[in-house]
Amino acid sequence: MSTPGLANPSVLALRDVSKAFGAVRALREVSIDCRAGEIHALVGENGSGKSTLLGIASGFLAPDHGTVEIAGRQRRRVSPAETRRLGLGIAYQTYSHVLDLSVAENLYLGAPPELRPRYGRIEAWAAETLGAFDLEIPLLPSTRALSLVQRQLLEVVKALLAQPKVLLLDEPTTALGPDDVERLHALVLEQSRAGVGIVYVSHRLPEVLGIADRVSVLRDGVCQGTFDGASMSEESLVALMIGRPLQLAFPERQGQAAQREVRLAVSGLHGERFGPVDLEVAKGEILGLAGAEGNGQVQFLRALAGVERSAGTATCDGRALDSGSPLGALRAGVVLLSGDRSGESLFPVLSVRVNTTIQVLRRLARFGLLRRGRERKTVDDLAGRLRIRMASMEQPVQSLSGGNQQKVSLTRPFLRGDVKVLLAEEPTQGVDVAARFDIYDALREKANDGVATIVKSSDPLELAGLCDRVVVMSRGRIVDEIQGAELGERRIVEAIVGSGLGRARRATEGEAAPA
Amino acid sequence: MRRLQGWLPLLLMSTLIVALGVYTSLREDAFLTSYNLNNLLLATMPLALVSLGQATALLVGGFDVSVAALMTFCVVLASYTLTPTTSGWGYLPGSLALLGVGLATGVFNAILIRVLRLPSIIATLGTLSILQGASLWLRDHPEGSINSDVISGLTKSVGFVPIAFVAVCVLGVAADLWLYRSRTGLALRAVGLDETSSRRLGMHTGVAVILAFVVCSLMASIAGFYLAAEVQIGSPIIGNYGLESIAAAVLGGASLAGGRGSYVGTLLAALFLTLIDNVLPLFQQPTEYSEITIGLLILLALVLYKSPELVSRLRTSWGGVGRLRTGGGEASAG
Repeated sequence: MSTPGLANPSVLALRDVSKAFGAVRALREVSIDCRAGEIHALVGENGSGKSTLLGIASGFLAPDHGTVEIAGRQRRRVSPAETRRLGLGIAYQTYSHVLDLSVAENLYLGAPPELRPRYGRIEAWAAETLGAFDLEIPLLPSTRALSLVQRQLLEVVKALLAQPKVLLLDEPTTALGPDDVERLHALVLEQSRAGVGIVYVSHRLPEVLGIADRVSVLRDGVCQGTFDGASMSEESLVALMIGRPLQLAFPERQGQAAQREVRLAVSGLHGERFGPVDLEVAKGEILGLAGAEGNGQVQFLRALAGVERSAGTATCDGRALDSGSPLGALRAGVVLLSGDRSGESLFPVLSVRVNTTIQVLRRLARFGLLRRGRERKTVDDLAGRLRIRMASMEQPVQSLSGGNQQKVSLTRPFLRGDVKVLLAEEPTQGVDVAARFDIYDALREKANDGVATIVKSSDPLELAGLCDRVVVMSRGRIVDEIQGAELGERRIVEAIVGSGLGRARRATEGEAAPA
Repeated sequence: MRRLQGWLPLLLMSTLIVALGVYTSLREDAFLTSYNLNNLLLATMPLALVSLGQATALLVGGFDVSVAALMTFCVVLASYTLTPTTSGWGYLPGSLALLGVGLATGVFNAILIRVLRLPSIIATLGTLSILQGASLWLRDHPEGSINSDVISGLTKSVGFVPIAFVAVCVLGVAADLWLYRSRTGLALRAVGLDETSSRRLGMHTGVAVILAFVVCSLMASIAGFYLAAEVQIGSPIIGNYGLESIAAAVLGGASLAGGRGSYVGTLLAALFLTLIDNVLPLFQQPTEYSEITIGLLILLALVLYKSPELVSRLRTSWGGVGRLRTGGGEASAG
C-alpha cells in the first residue's frame, strides 16, 4: 500500500507547538499533520515529548505557543470536550476509565451526547456497542475488575465511539500480547481504510514499521522530520531517535572482582505489573534497568523495596527479604531512592540538615536529645563529599536545584552504614549536567563499598556509561541482557524498541515450556 | 455484592430507626404520641436539609464545614428581615435575603476551592469563622423574635406529619433517582470518583464542583429557615450541624473520598441522629450518653459499610502471605 495521497484533507494539524514545564522545554516548535486515512506514527525515546504533544492535541494541556487545527477547523478553546466535538478521539496511555464505575457506565460517559441511549438502556446499549468491536470485553459491574489488556482495549473502543475524524493512540499496546496487538492493528487498519486519520504513538519500532504510512521522530522535544514509512528501517529510526551530542565523563568501572559474590538474588518474583523476574546482582555491581516507560520496571524496583506487593523470592546475602513492608526491606539493608523526590523521598519544606539526618537521628542523639554540633558536622562532611551546592544547611530542600535535591536524598544511603542494596529510580531525572556527574560518582563510590546497585533509568546513554550490566524489561519481563563490549547506547535503544513482538513471544513460550 | 453495598446504609439506618422506635415505644408511652412524633420530625428538618447539601459536597470529594455558621447567620438575619411586623409581600424579600446569603456563601466557597485551589475543609473553615463573626456582630446575644406566621407556615402539619417533611422526603427520593438514574448524576459521581479521567472524557469537572458547593450552601440556608422556626429568636449560638451533617451523609453511605452516597440514606441517618437526641430524655438519661451513643454508632456503621472491603483486603493479604511463604516452591516449579 502506498502512502494515502497527501492530497487527502488534513484531519489534525499542529503548527509550531511549544510547551515548557518549568525549566524543562518539553516541545520546541513542533509541527505535525495527519491526513484522512493515514496512519501517522510518532516515535521517540522516553521523555522526548510524545505524550506532551498528544496532551496538547487532545486539549488536556494548553500549549505555550502554536495552534491546533482539527478537521480543518482551528480549535478555539483548550478543552477535551471541545476537541472531541471537533472530531478528535484519543486513547490515553494511562486510560480514562473511572475504575469504580461499571464498564457500561464508562462507555456511556465516553460516548458523545447524540449517541447516548436512554439511561435505563445502557447495559443493553453497551452490549451492542462492544459486540460490534468483537474484543471480548466483559460488561463487569466494576471496571477495576478488567484485566490490563481489557482496560487498554476498552480505552481504544471509547476513543472510537464518537466516530472521530482523527484518532490518537498513545502506546496502545503496552499491556497487549502478540495476538491482541494483531487484533488491535486490524481494527486500526479498518478505521484508516474508512478514512480516519490515525496518530500512532509507540516506542515499539517493529510494530510501528508494520503499520505506519508515515513516521515522525521526536528527540528532546524537537521534531527530527517526517518520513515515508516504507523508506525507513529500525536502524534508520534509531539513529534519528538517539545521538545526543552531550558526552559525560562517567566514573571508572571497577575491574571485575576476582570472585563474583552475589548479594541480591531474585527468583520468580512477580507482582501485578511485572514478572516473573529472575535476577542476580553482585557485590559492587551496578545493574541498569532499561525499558520503555510502563513496562513494569518501577513496580519491580518498588516490590524489592517492599513498597509494592509481590510474590516469589528475593534474598539479600542469602536472607529472604520480607516483601511486605518498606521497613522490613530497610532493615535488611535495601534502600530505595525514589524517582518522585519531592513527593516520596524528601520533605521539601524542611532543611537540608533535617532531610539528611532524619533516618539516623538515634545515632546522633544522647539521652534522647539531638546533639546539634555532631549533626552539623555530619551534614557538613557529607555535603562536601557529595558536592551539594547550598547557601546553608538550614535552607529548605525545595529551594535547591533538582540535582542538589537528589544529592540530599543520596546522603541517606551514605549515612546508613548498613546499606547492602541500593535501588535508584531515575537518579538523574531533572538534574543538570554538572550535578549528574556528581551523582554518578556517588553511586559508583557506594558500589565500590560493596553495595549492589540497580539503576532504573529511561536514559540509555546514562545506563551505558554508568552500569556494569544492563537488563531490558518489556511487558514486565526481562527480555534482554547487555554487558561487556556490547554495552552501548545504540544497543540498549535497539533492545528497547525491538523488544516488542518476537522477544515477548519467546519469553512466553520459554515460561510455558517447563510447565 | 456491589448492589448490596449500595443498599447497606439504607437498610441499616431503617433497621436502627425501627428498632429504637419500637424499643422506646414499649418502654415509654410518651414516645408514640402524635405530639412527640410531630416534634421529632420537625426537629429533624434542619439536619435533614443541611445534610442533603453536605452529601452533595461529599459526592465531589469536598467538605463544607461552614454550613453550621451559615445556618446560624440565616437565623440572625431572619430576626431582622422576618420580624413580627413583616406581612404580605414583605415575606418575599425577607426570605430571598436568606437564600441570597446562601447563594453568595456557596459561590464564595466555590471560588476558594475551585479557582484558588484551597482544600475545601480549610477554605470552609475560614468561611465558618467569617459568618460566625458576622452573626455575633449583628446579634451579640439572642434577641429579636421571628415572625410567628412564617414559623407556623414552615411547620404546618397534616396529622403529625409536617408537610415540609414529606417534601424533603420527595426531594431525597428524586435526588437519588437523579444521582443513579441519569446522565448528569452519573457524571457527578464520575467527577467525585476520578477527576482526571472525567476531564479526559470531556466532562466539565470545574462546573460540577462549583455547583455542588453552591447547592450545599443553598440547602444550608433553607435549613436556616427551619432552625429559625425552632429557636424562634435571633440567636447567634452555633449548633453542631457542620459535623453532624457530615456524619449523616457518611452514615447514609457517602464516602469521604467522593463519588459515593445516597440522599435517601442521608435523610434516614438525619432522622436517626435526631431520634437518639429525642428519646434519651424520655429515658431520663443525660445528654452525654447521647453524644457517646451517637459516636459509637457512627463508628460501628462505618466499620460495617467497610466490611466487604475489609474482608477482601484481609483475604488478599493473607493470601499474599501464604503465597510468599510457599513462594520458593512455586518459583522452582514454574
